[in-house]
Amino acid sequence: MSVGAAVERRVGGSQVRRSAAKYAAVVRTQLAHGLAYPGDLIMRSLTILIFMWVFIHLWRSTYAATGQTSVRGLTLNNTLWYLVLAESITLSKPRVATAIAQAVRDGSVAYQLSKPYSFLGYQAAVTVGDALVRGAVTVLLGGALVAVMVGPPPSMLGWPPAFAAVIAGWLIDFCMATLIGLMAFVVEDVAAFEWIYSKLILVLGGVLLPLDFLPDGFRRVAEALPFAYTTWAPARLFVSPDPALFVRLFGIQLAWLAGLALLVAIVHRQCTARLAVNGG
Amino acid sequence: MPAIVVDNLRKTFTAKRKSAGLAGSLKAMVRPDRTTVEAVQGLSFRMDDGELLGFIGPNGAGKSTTIKILTGILYPTSGTAEVLGFVPWRERRKLAYHIGTVFGQRSQLWPHLPAIDTLALFGKIYELDHRTVRRRIALLSEAFEITHLLETPVRKLSLGQRMRCEVAASLLHQPRLILLDEPSIGLDPVAKQRIRDMIIRMNAEEGVGVLLTSHDAGDIEALCKRVIIVNHGQIVYDDRVSALKRRYLTVKDVGVRFVEPIAGDVDIPGAEVVKVGGGGYGLKLRFDTTVTPAAELLAHIGALGGVEDVTISDPSLEDVIRVIYEQAAAGEAIRPADSSWPSVEPEGSEGAP
Repeated sequence: MSVGAAVERRVGGSQVRRSAAKYAAVVRTQLAHGLAYPGDLIMRSLTILIFMWVFIHLWRSTYAATGQTSVRGLTLNNTLWYLVLAESITLSKPRVATAIAQAVRDGSVAYQLSKPYSFLGYQAAVTVGDALVRGAVTVLLGGALVAVMVGPPPSMLGWPPAFAAVIAGWLIDFCMATLIGLMAFVVEDVAAFEWIYSKLILVLGGVLLPLDFLPDGFRRVAEALPFAYTTWAPARLFVSPDPALFVRLFGIQLAWLAGLALLVAIVHRQCTARLAVNGG
Repeated sequence: MPAIVVDNLRKTFTAKRKSAGLAGSLKAMVRPDRTTVEAVQGLSFRMDDGELLGFIGPNGAGKSTTIKILTGILYPTSGTAEVLGFVPWRERRKLAYHIGTVFGQRSQLWPHLPAIDTLALFGKIYELDHRTVRRRIALLSEAFEITHLLETPVRKLSLGQRMRCEVAASLLHQPRLILLDEPSIGLDPVAKQRIRDMIIRMNAEEGVGVLLTSHDAGDIEALCKRVIIVNHGQIVYDDRVSALKRRYLTVKDVGVRFVEPIAGDVDIPGAEVVKVGGGGYGLKLRFDTTVTPAAELLAHIGALGGVEDVTISDPSLEDVIRVIYEQAAAGEAIRPADSSWPSVEPEGSEGAP
């Protein structure tokens, strides 16, 4: 068979639509990639069961000690479902900073830069695809434990706003982690920065406990920083599916996302100009 | 229009240096010592549309750096380059629609998925419509003999099978030019030959230009009509492969087996005796055809005794290239000197010592 025939022209539509189709395809491929080994996927997600087991006993005792059914507007059921989502968001996100730093160090960034897409857009799509697979399994496992031991989620209405906020939260996290990963262009090892970042997310992002439980001054500081919008905002929207709260928190998420994406684009531009790919 | 035009291209990197030991580490923390590495030093060359061009050099010669500049991955320090009319580092994404890349030591295929999934993804990335993707996959699967491999997870393929899929993936969008950076690295001779045959076929049938770097002289010999040799970031040779042979393969190796042992020291004018062996039955010589005509040499050999078998062979292209590297490194004129030729076993010299 001859292979001499010319390729027919490209798909039509606007540039935005064509770009969206590209990154959607990357997300789909990453979803398939994540599902390639379901046994391995489930085993890695079992950590959530240990975490939630500890949290269930811890918060049951705490609520019992206070003698109240609601603390700062959150019942025991709210708090534990908040934690299911917060822990799932954190456990399921890939280690973006490490992956980017590794790609820069070992030279595999060369392949990703030689295709007609944005390197950062591609990485973001891979991140969302990867996190979606792991997140779904983690929420199912953690949610099943809490549903059995504590009760069903407070409202099914919380799923749609939480889903949108989780995606925005992963993208905010992606931007901050990418900034750390891009430091590999300057420093030898980004592990220390990644460690500090993960601890900031743990405390200021609301992974350890809902920011609502922090002292007022500390809470206000935490809510003014981007870390809160990676985890606290989506988990809070899940247990309090209030339209006004969604507009406020999702709006802040989009504002942080726009600002951070711009910053990442500027830093990335500077970094690629000084890129020294290994093997060259 | 030429596919590639490069003019006085330079790329320098800054690298850290550290003295040995704890003291060196402490000193590097306070006052890091930096050194500038000139990876590419004023390269200039052209490549025609549809040409098969070899681009070779020893490790650290600057060839991969040049390829990465030409794909838009690296910015040059100075100089100009155009690939298919695009300035790569300014128009990387536009250029990417028209070129394909294969980096032999990296993979562009998703390891846990079958290659067909990556090909489908590339169809989206290159904005091809469904019909075109299906047709291209069918054509390339047949050409690269990978139809039966497309649904196997990539990590379960052998290196040779994976490389065929890698090259096929790089051709999905029917690029005008592919840049192959050591595509045959680690492959066995049969797998290498299959890849070479397929590249030649794609060049002939689709007119795709090929810029190839390789440490395997066999790749260059089999694929390329022209070769550029770089060393220390500079071009030390730019001509046809056949000219390389003509110019440098003037030295021949000769293996002789005599009917009876030859006695005494052997002295043949214009030839270097490499070895007398096999109990005096065997003789290995090396001579330069520009100094000693072959007929004259054979006459001298015949005078030594009855000849049972004689073989005359060229040093391999690999040896030629090695000598060029060594001469370039020593700053010598690029011309083989008899004394610097490596010792090689003449091909087809069974029966000779």
